[in-house]
Amino acid sequence: MEAEALKFFIASVTAAGFGITIAASFCGIAQGLGLRAAVEGIARNPESSGKVTVTMLIGLAMIESLCIYALVIALILIYAHPQAAAIAKIFAAH
Amino acid sequence: MVEPIFGFKCALYANYRGAVKIQKRILICITRSNWVLLGLISMLGLLLASSRFALGLILGGLIVTVNFHLLYRTLKSALSPPHLSSHHVVITKYYARFAVSGLIIFWLISGKHVDPLGLILGLSVVVLSILFATLMELKHLIFKEAT
Repeated sequence: MEAEALKFFIASVTAAGFGITIAASFCGIAQGLGLRAAVEGIARNPESSGKVTVTMLIGLAMIESLCIYALVIALILIYAHPQAAAIAKIFAAH
Repeated sequence: MVEPIFGFKCALYANYRGAVKIQKRILICITRSNWVLLGLISMLGLLLASSRFALGLILGGLIVTVNFHLLYRTLKSALSPPHLSSHHVVITKYYARFAVSGLIIFWLISGKHVDPLGLILGLSVVVLSILFATLMELKHLIFKEAT
């Protein structure tokens, strides 16, 4: 049963690793695209910097919060899995 | 010939000013509703949930609210002329802020100091504020068009 518990732990860690990697990659791409568009807009029309900055701030905050959610889920999978105690009990019973 | 062009220019300027007004209004609404929502969920958490859940709500809300304010200051100093800060400073501040948030969340979850669900709810404060501000602005636009 120790092997089963180890498998469960490996699966959790793998899921957390892949999850945060995918989330960080796509959030990075999205933030980069947003930032590029904002900088181009300000370069074309410097007077609109206030408007562009506020819009970008809101967009970046939304994207960043998605990445933070992924980080929290990954950390939960590794350190505070909700079913970890129940699964450990099942393994211990066998 | 001069009059229509002048008129067109004036209309554009008015639209531009109107757009800036909307942006400012949304930002102020988000900034204020961040703190109001944080206070509200903290009170509700302390009254109705366990202490770990309430701590998750409060710390999660604080992390994202402070993050949002720091992000605003960084972007403002980076993109608002005439005094632009160096891009090295901007990137350093950005990564430092993100690393500190990540480390705090890591410490909270790995040490089991807070309830993870409460933390996720707390971390949603800014998203909820943005949704709320957008809805308020939509309501404002709809009622303005109706009158």
